[in-house]
Amino acid sequence: MNEATGARKRVAITGIGAATPHGIGVEAAWAGVLAGVNTIGPIRRFDARSFPVRFAAEAPEPTALPEVPAAVQHILLDLKGRLAAVAAAEALAMAQLPALGERLGVCLGSEAARPDLAELATRMRSGQLPSAEELVRMSPEAPTRLVAAMAGAQGPMSTVSTACTSSSQSVGEGLLRIRRGEATAMIVGGVDVLVDPIMITGFAKLGALSQRNDDPATASRPFDLHRDGFVLGEGAGFLVIEDWDFAVGRGATILAELSGFGCSCNAYRITDSPPDGRGAAQSMEAALLDARLQPEDIDYINAHGTSTPMNDSSEAAGILRALGERGGSVPTSSTKSMTGHLVAACGAVEAIFCVLATRDGRMPPTLNLAQPDPACPLAHIIGGALTAPVRHALTNAFGFGGSNGTLVISRVDAAGDRA
Amino acid sequence: MTSPAERQPVEVVVTGMALISALGSAFNDELAAVAARLDAGEVGLVEHPPLGALPGGGRAGVVAQLDLDRFLVRRQDKKLLARPSALAVAAAGPLVAAWPGPRDELGLFLGVGREPPDDGESEATLALSAADGQLDERLLSGPGRDRYPPLLPLKTLPNMAPAHISINLGLMGENAALAGVSGASMAAMRAGVRAVAEGRAPAALVGGADARVDLGSARDRLRVGEPGAPGEGAALLLIEPRAAAEARGAKIYGVVEVLDMDASAEAHELGAALRPLLGALGAAEAAAAVVWCLAAGRAASLGAADPGLPPMGLAVRPAGAC
Repeated sequence: MNEATGARKRVAITGIGAATPHGIGVEAAWAGVLAGVNTIGPIRRFDARSFPVRFAAEAPEPTALPEVPAAVQHILLDLKGRLAAVAAAEALAMAQLPALGERLGVCLGSEAARPDLAELATRMRSGQLPSAEELVRMSPEAPTRLVAAMAGAQGPMSTVSTACTSSSQSVGEGLLRIRRGEATAMIVGGVDVLVDPIMITGFAKLGALSQRNDDPATASRPFDLHRDGFVLGEGAGFLVIEDWDFAVGRGATILAELSGFGCSCNAYRITDSPPDGRGAAQSMEAALLDARLQPEDIDYINAHGTSTPMNDSSEAAGILRALGERGGSVPTSSTKSMTGHLVAACGAVEAIFCVLATRDGRMPPTLNLAQPDPACPLAHIIGGALTAPVRHALTNAFGFGGSNGTLVISRVDAAGDRA
Repeated sequence: MTSPAERQPVEVVVTGMALISALGSAFNDELAAVAARLDAGEVGLVEHPPLGALPGGGRAGVVAQLDLDRFLVRRQDKKLLARPSALAVAAAGPLVAAWPGPRDELGLFLGVGREPPDDGESEATLALSAADGQLDERLLSGPGRDRYPPLLPLKTLPNMAPAHISINLGLMGENAALAGVSGASMAAMRAGVRAVAEGRAPAALVGGADARVDLGSARDRLRVGEPGAPGEGAALLLIEPRAAAEARGAKIYGVVEVLDMDASAEAHELGAALRPLLGALGAAEAAAAVVWCLAAGRAASLGAADPGLPPMGLAVRPAGAC
């Protein structure tokens, strides 16, 4: 912030990369959600036939991995590391950053990885303990180390671990660091891989997962009256963000502006969201204020929309509370209806969808929204992608434990009075 | 690079402190006595029977008593509290109770460790899911699942410590749970100081909580070569702009300033000096070092870094030196 003028640094998005159930690469994911392609199907990674939930949105195994420094190669032994590597490589290739050293930072959202059943079995048989490398690989900050090494980043590093809000908050944290002048550019985003027997067991027992085993393709139905839980997904999404003037100065292609960030806590319950949407509204209001925008400036909302009974009605209440009448008329969709819930990665992947919505003037639909819940009176995008200019898009992410994060993404030519 | 003063125009002060460690639970003025004990080299480590089988003995920095129940809104949620969450709520309770302002904008920035221990709750599931020493997916989905604690996934998420503070004490403002080891609470304190200085939060709780005295965590530490005995604890600071603190007549314990990256590299890693006394506090360590300095009336530039990541730093000045 320039104290004399009140002006502050603008933040440009110059690189995006993703690995999602739709495939490797942002264009595969974008084409998939615009076309309404559902990725949810029977679990292939393990024999789930006797499990209470037998479907998920699994990410594909990358067929080619980028070169990474030797010190972090062991992180690629984990699928989470491999998805992070290919998504980060795509974002970095697109941004074409010069060497920035201490002026390049990394802030990622991630949870701790869990040993798979084969590893647990080995330990049970032999009493063998995990190796030091394995412990490092399973730590939440492992993807941060990997991406920092790939990019040669030596600036500020942190790992946000707020469950499903993790990567949304990591993008926000990166935005703040650039505005403060702590870094010229940041790599932000998140990765998560949770489709394993223990997590399926745990979340199913918790009652959080949809149990539509007979018709998985219709299981994720955000805002529908007959929704019954979320569908586990997995993937990675990364953005390269940088000081606007620096990006312009080096002739970078600016995809969109990262213009606002807000976050809050619900102070309510661990699993449930408050029916009045108060915490969610506080997060959205903070993001709009930060972006120096009014509700009528928002042309698209990519909702958190998990398809759980509590989340969706609470989020709808929050949108109406934060945006007032405008909240009921902004085109809104939940791409989780097609990708499943990418947990710690969802905020970043859905922010990427907002970047592309501003670029292309297209908004993906919500699948399976056959009978909108009257408790969710939003302007749902149903039946196919919507084509209309998107000046500013808002995206929510809410996490277990009641943490909320909201990002505002703006079209390159829609600066308004924010600068 | 610019200096902290140039980049942080609003002075951020500490108006509340909490340290829960092997030396007990202490808050605000009580911490001067704890600092004196630490300065005198008092060792709080004790024999911890669960760690008896470890090479080098089973000493750990264990918190003996925790005053927790009075801060829980719903007592039935106690079973959801992993040890770091319990430590965090017990540390935050008195600080938030003394905060006179509204809690819906109070910020919360906490350093958290990797996935907290599950207190052995998953062992029954794993045992019932094994045949001939092999874990079997069909058994896991049958008898194993029947014994799986339904709330376990939630109990062991890293962000549960700040979540329980928010739920039980009503905090709703800007927040972050930052994961790591000794760098985690440093990152959290820096983020909180910035948020308060920029007016994104009128005040904030910053610090960290961690518990590493269970056998699994202690073994993990040995595997990655972390030296010394394990510990557990929580260290929190209540921070706010100086003008606001003075306007409400709050006692000011000191000033905190974010250090630049290059200055961070030179800052002293005081957290390491705490390890022989309290055990390795992990994600609470850097915040405990800040509390120690301010309670002892010492000015310092403190740094912390997780292996393989760049250092981060914070400068602290006690009230007398302000």
